[in-house]
Amino acid sequence: MDSSEKELIANLKSDGNRETAFKILVKTYQVRLYWHIRKIVMNHDDADDILQNVYIKVWKNVDSFREDSSLFTWLFRIATNESLSFLQQQKRHSLVSMNEISDYLAESLESDVYFEGDEIQKKLQLAIIQLPEKQRIVFNMKYFDEMKYEEMSDILKTSVGALKASFHFAVKKVEEFLKEERK
Amino acid sequence: MKKTEENIENQFGNRKKDQPFKVPEGYFETFAERLMVRIEEEEQPGKKRSLYFYLKPVLMMAASFAFVMLLVYVPIKKFFPSTGKAYLAQQSVNADSIDSISVIPATLISYFSEGQFLEAVSEMKELKSDTFSNDNLADFIAANYSDYDVIANN
Repeated sequence: MDSSEKELIANLKSDGNRETAFKILVKTYQVRLYWHIRKIVMNHDDADDILQNVYIKVWKNVDSFREDSSLFTWLFRIATNESLSFLQQQKRHSLVSMNEISDYLAESLESDVYFEGDEIQKKLQLAIIQLPEKQRIVFNMKYFDEMKYEEMSDILKTSVGALKASFHFAVKKVEEFLKEERK
Repeated sequence: MKKTEENIENQFGNRKKDQPFKVPEGYFETFAERLMVRIEEEEQPGKKRSLYFYLKPVLMMAASFAFVMLLVYVPIKKFFPSTGKAYLAQQSVNADSIDSISVIPATLISYFSEGQFLEAVSEMKELKSDTFSNDNLADFIAANYSDYDVIANN
């Protein structure tokens, strides 16, 4: 953790500079957090709601941040948990099984007016949607964001070995799905 | 695995950095402001609800009921003043016309057999017509009940 981050955290925890520091925090991480959430929930409106909830949680709980990880890791962990909780809520509300969560995500993708990918890109997204939750997150973080396994390990609280295995299976499944689609 | 990953990349050309997802125009520029507005709203203490808020549904129901009653009762009272009285007159009964048998509760009757019941009724009529003293009561009990019945019932 560098000195500027330490200063930012100190300001977030102080009464006087809190709001200014919080705005800096929002501006610094909003784009990366948004895309991380968006790839999990697919839909822009859902991603927007979740991103707001993430920052509200940070605003309310910054005093309890123990600083044993970086702000980036802490924010990404909250964002991942919020996104997964959102999907669990959808599952509970609609009484659907795990397979149908992928249907929900596929529908979200189809109806999202802010998806402007072509047919090939849509196919890849539909293939990713078929993956189990954890594999999907690992695939997105590694394949699109090119995140290091060590960083992912801190965020997802999973060993590097397990992450490598998840990514391996995810890549295989995506490839198989795409092969099936071509037939 | 690297090969498999490359296969996927080959299928999409070198397009994995192309972002198929978009955001509304100016979304990130205005996000912080919108977020601060929401935080301010959430931090405002919730408005305390008055007693009227909780009683409102009950009061509304009572008012509707009173209104309906008013709509029905007032025209009847005004246009047919005799109807209500006539109905009451028809329904009123002469207290003297009630036979003592008719006021015996049905549940009590069910405890007796038909013979016992008729016997008891005929005795009641006799008792009603005569003057009734303590000696009469003692004689009646002695004639109809054993000592065991009297002790057991007390």
